[in-house]
Formats: sequence, C-alpha cells, structure tokens
Amino acid sequence: MTPSTPAAFQPHPAQRFPSPTSRPAVLLESVDKRFGSVHAVKGISLEIAERSLCGFLGPNGAGKSTTIRMIMSIIAPDAGRAEVMGSSALAMKDRIGYLPEERGLYRKMKVGEFVGYMARLKGVPAAGLARRIDDWLERLELPGVAKRRCEELSKGQQQKIQLLASIIHEPDLLILDEPFSGLDPLNGRLVLELIRSEQARGATIIFSTHQMHTAEALCDKVILINKGEKVLDASLAELRARYDDRGLVCEPLGGAEEFATNALRTGLASHARTHDNGTVDLDLAPGRSATDAMRAALDLAPMRSVGLRRMNLDDLFVELVGGADAAQKKGAKIDA
Amino acid sequence: MPDRTQQSYLGKVALIAWREFRHTALTKGFIIGAVAVPILMFGVFAVVPSLMSRESPPLVGSIAIIDPTGSIAPRAKAILEKPVSMLEVVEEFAENPPQSAAEQMEAVSTLPSAGQQKIEVAWRTETDPAALDAIKSDLETGKLIAGASIGADTLDPSKPAAPFEFFIPSSLSPKHVTQISRAIRKAIEEERVARSGVDSALIARLSDAPEPKTMRVSPEGAVAKEITELRFMVPVAFMFLLWITVFTSANYLLTTTIEEKSNKVMEVLLAAASPMQLLVGKILGYAAISAVMLVMYGGLGIAGLSAAAMLDLVPFTHLLYLVLFFVMGYLMVAAMMSAVGSAVSDLREAQSLVGPVMMVLIVPVMLWLPIVENPNGMLATVTSYIPPATPFVMIMRLTAATEPIPLWQTITATLWGFVCAIGMMWIAARIFRVGVLMQGKPPSPKELFRWAFVR
Repeated sequence: MTPSTPAAFQPHPAQRFPSPTSRPAVLLESVDKRFGSVHAVKGISLEIAERSLCGFLGPNGAGKSTTIRMIMSIIAPDAGRAEVMGSSALAMKDRIGYLPEERGLYRKMKVGEFVGYMARLKGVPAAGLARRIDDWLERLELPGVAKRRCEELSKGQQQKIQLLASIIHEPDLLILDEPFSGLDPLNGRLVLELIRSEQARGATIIFSTHQMHTAEALCDKVILINKGEKVLDASLAELRARYDDRGLVCEPLGGAEEFATNALRTGLASHARTHDNGTVDLDLAPGRSATDAMRAALDLAPMRSVGLRRMNLDDLFVELVGGADAAQKKGAKIDA
Repeated sequence: MPDRTQQSYLGKVALIAWREFRHTALTKGFIIGAVAVPILMFGVFAVVPSLMSRESPPLVGSIAIIDPTGSIAPRAKAILEKPVSMLEVVEEFAENPPQSAAEQMEAVSTLPSAGQQKIEVAWRTETDPAALDAIKSDLETGKLIAGASIGADTLDPSKPAAPFEFFIPSSLSPKHVTQISRAIRKAIEEERVARSGVDSALIARLSDAPEPKTMRVSPEGAVAKEITELRFMVPVAFMFLLWITVFTSANYLLTTTIEEKSNKVMEVLLAAASPMQLLVGKILGYAAISAVMLVMYGGLGIAGLSAAAMLDLVPFTHLLYLVLFFVMGYLMVAAMMSAVGSAVSDLREAQSLVGPVMMVLIVPVMLWLPIVENPNGMLATVTSYIPPATPFVMIMRLTAATEPIPLWQTITATLWGFVCAIGMMWIAARIFRVGVLMQGKPPSPKELFRWAFVR
C-alpha cells in the first residue's frame, strides 16, 4: 500500500506534467578530468532536458560526483565544456540547488539560521524568509527545530535540513547526490515525494543513487557511468522498448533445469538462466515473438506462471557495469 | 515564480563576512577570550598586589641581641617599624640583586610587605656574650622569634664590618627572616657611621646620586623631555597590539576553515558562492574582528595614557602607522592561514605547515630590544624587508623615534610590504581554490607550489 502523498507535495494540476523546453538544462561536451594519475572522467558528453528527472547511476568511484562537481563549476574540467541553462554554472549558482554527497552543515549554527544563510546566499530576500523556513520545516515533519542547533538533530533530520537548504530558493536545476542514503524508509518516501513535487513545480532534477528501484520509479531518463565513461544514456521508455519483450520469466511445476534445457533444444530461447527460487529466465531466440514464445513455453511443461520479463535497471546495471561475469552470478546461465 | 532575486557578488561576500563575524565575535567564547580576559588581567594586576599586601603575616614576638654597646636594638626597632616604600625595596634589590634562586624567592616575598603590616616586636639587649645559650634556648621554646650576636669588631668603624651571627627558629617565615635581618644590618650600618663621628644624614645626602633629567634634542633643534622607560614601551606596545590582534583573528580564520572542511560544509558553500567570494568574505569577516580588538585594546591603552596625561607619547601619525601596518600584517597572516586552513584536514597537519612561517613571525617579538634601541641599525633595516615580519618591525622602528628613519626606507619597506601582501593573497587564493575540496593527506610543499602556480 502506498501512503498518501503529503498535501504539501501535491503539485498543482496544471504543473503536474510540465512540458520540457528545447534548451538543455545541462550540457556536457567531451568533459575530461584527471586527478594526478587517476583519470576520473573520460570525455563524457551528455544532455539533460529542462524539467526532466534524470537518474545519474554508477558504481562507487565511477566518476559521478566528479561529473556533478564539474556541472556545478565547483571544479573545472581539464578539457571539454560544461554548460548549465545555456551559461556557466558560476553565473547560474543562484538558480541551482545542490545536495552534495558528503553532507555538511555548521554544527553549532541553529537550524533556522543555517537554512536562512543558505537561502540568502542564493538570493532569497530576507523579508518573509523565517516564515518560509518554518513552513518548509512543517512540510518536512520537523516542526519547531528552527531554534535548535544542527548538531542536536539526528542524522536523518540533518539530512532533511541539508535537502531543505538546497531547495529553499526554489531552484530551476536541482542536483542531488545520493539523496536517499542514510534515510529510513519513511523519510526516504518523504524525500521521494519532495523530489516529485519539485519536478512538478518545474525544476530539472538530476540525482545520483545506488537504489535502482528508486531510479526506475522516479526517472524520465538514466545515465550510467562506469570507470569515468558513460555506458548508458537513455530514457526509461527507450530502455523498456529495448529490453522488454526480449525475454520470458517462467516458473515450471517440474524441474527448472530440465525446462531450461528443453527451451534451448527446441529453439525457444538463445540463453536460459535458472534461479534458486525455481524460476527460469529465457532470452528469446532472434525472430521469436513474445506471444509465440509464451505458447511454446506452455507446451513444453506445465507452468505455475509464465510472463514477459520486464526491463530491470538492477540487472541492467549489473550487466553493464559488471559484465557477463556479474550477470552470471545472479543465476546459472545455460547457453544454447 | 520563485520569490528570489540574483544575489550580487559583493552581496554574497558581505553575507559570508557577516556570518563569520557574527558567529565568532558575538559568541561567549570570543567575549570571554578577547574582552573579558584582558579586563580580568588588568583587574588582577591592579587588585592582587593590594590583596597580597593585606595578606602579609603580622610580625609579632621578641628579639634578643647581644650587643656590647646596647645601641643596635633601638636602631633596629626604629628601622623595622618605619614603613618601607615599594620604591625603597625595589632600589635595594637593584643595588643588591639576589644571587640565587632562594634569594630571589626571598626578595619577591618581601615586596608586598611595603605598606600595611602589623609589627609588634619587643627588643631585648644583652651585653654579656654568655647570654647566647639562653637565647638559643628561648628560640627553641618559642619565647624568641630571632636572636643576634654582634661583636665589637662588627661595630668598629676603623675595620671592615665583620659578619654577625643571626639565629632563627625553623618556624620563622622567609619573609620575616628578611625583614629582621635587614633591620639589624641597617642598624649596624647606622651605628658604624655614628661611631666614626660623621653625620649619617650628611652621608646619605652626599651618597644620593642625582637622577638625570634627560632632554632629547632633535636634528631640527627641538628639545623634548625624555622618558626612557616609556620610550621603550611605546613601540613594543604597538608591535604587540598588532601581533595579538592579527594573530587572534587569523587563528580563527585557520580553525574555521579547517572546521568547514572537516564538517563537509565547504562544498555546500561552494555551491552558493565562488571560492574567491568565500575567501574574501572570510578574510573581511575576520578583519572586522581584528579591527574590533585593535580599537578595543588600543582604546584602552590610549585611555590609560590620557588618564596619566601622557598622550603626547602617541602622536596621531603613530595611529596612522598602526592602521597602515595592521592592514598589511593582517593581509599577510590571513593569506597564510587561509591557505594552510584550506590545504589541511586538521589542526595537527596545520601546525607543520604554519611552523616555518611562525619562525619568521617570531623575529620581531624576539628582537624587539635591539630593534627599538637602534631602529636604524642593520638588524632593524634588514628585518623590515623580510615578509611577513615587515609590518611588525616597521611599526616598532617608526614609533621608537630615537632618530627619524630615512624616508626612502619608510616608503620602500611599506610598498614592498604591500606588494608582498597582495602577492601572498594571490597565492592563498590559488591554493584555497584547490585546497578546499581536497581531502586526505596534507599536500607536500611541491603540491602546494603546483596548486599556486601551475593549475
């Protein structure tokens, strides 16, 4: 059951599906960055449309945070060009909200002062700011903490304060580096809804995460980086079109191994993977339609269930990042 | 539409500066450290001597003296009961400086006795040397607090004064021992002078060396009264004022920069402001703190001089020099501290980088005496051109004023100092820009050089 979205995060109906504009919110052209002998980012080019929600994925040390820092103009690329909303990020700082991977706040500062300071730096007028902060704290289920020192809050509360500091000025571009790390499921859901409402408001959002299911649930587009290189850049719709319908998930009543062998022998599948839970993944042989394949599978053995395999970012991530070896670890693979 | 405007470049700098000022200067720690401590120290210096004087233990008891003439006891009694001024005590120490650590302790313990002390001593004179055993016995039983045996040779003015025997119980305090022995020694001295037939008052008058009334004649022919001690104190006070205000503030700059790095708040700030805005804002914020301290401490000093009608010791030009070299000194030290703070991850690492610079900065503190004594000497001239010691040495040279510093030296040292300060700020900005995002081991000097000049 999905909890109801807090009223504060409900976007205005007219804002619910903002139409993207033609100008990219973020444009990277052959951006390159080295730290000594480490080649952190290798000539990455990408384009993120305005008002889109883009997942920035990749394993630890892939170069995500470095790329984000270059988008933010916190560090300069050694080569290539980074542009935000048609200009340098330095000129656009006040229109960007940023939650860095390594969370930081002034521990001795009061929460209200800290958020107010960040808001003022981003150009929010002082008049009415305290009221705005109180409203936001209410929305984030942190009422009455404005007068408390940051160090007095729990880690999860501090994280929400940092997130608030990145959105208090209603940015046009919101970059969130691992916004869900360290949050319990309830707060994770709160942040997820907040991200949705920010997109509904009209902001372009880029967020990096290791949680593939979250990326799948939120993103219009995903960019996958591995070892400093872009290995995937596609919308979820494109990914589904590319990877859905190309496989079946079958749960035979009999032996899984026997079913997998028969599926390969009869030319139903080009590859088959058996799993510990008794299911078998079949990669369809070229030329086989999904409908035919389902009928053929039912003819091969009695089934508890048979269905089309859906594109799964988790699997895609493992396959693209870890290669075939990693994919095999998920199940015993049998080739035709 | 979002309710916001674009924050201007200087607007951000001002916001950062104000935050640094507010969260440093308006905290309990700063108020206690920078405001209350000097006031407390002043209070301690003003009140404690008086309290110590009141705490002087009373001198009560009987003293026996074996003296064939019977004249020493009355003289010693008069000397002991006569109030001794602090000046007399100090002069005596100057004439007979303590030779050992024990003597120094004794001397110091006597100082506060100048003033109020209850003295009720009964003096007993014995003429027979055989009474010495009885005296020793009375000392053991506590009937006497001291005893002395003075031979005829000691009092004979035709011979050098022979030592006399002085007996005390182990319980007598060092302070009382010094007081009693001093009274007896002075009494013997008076008796010898009297026996020689010379008027002791005349001797005192004749042996009183007059104090010089020094007048300094400037090259222009002007004659001014010389106050030697204060002439030394003024430049040193200026230098320390500069040193303390600059370093207190720059130290805050160092520690808060390190704190912002270790708290990971630096990246959040850099998402809102450029490294240059951050650096300038921080430096201005702490400059304001430094200026507050300068005005506060300097104001206290000037108020003190005004109260003592000695304001002429600090002409207006001195204050201009103070402001000029404060700006120069602060820029130099702040540049170093911000660069180091941005490059390291904790204070321990900072110490190793700050250490060599501190060696140069400590020069004016260690060499103040020769610089003030000879502001135009080779040492003073050379150190004037070694940054970051330049402002601290120059303020001493210019305010020492024993002789005017050549104008060309004042101009070149000042210009050179500001050129160096600006250069140091430029290097600091380059290092800061890279260093604030660096984590892990501190950079080597080679890496720092690369940050500053290559990337």
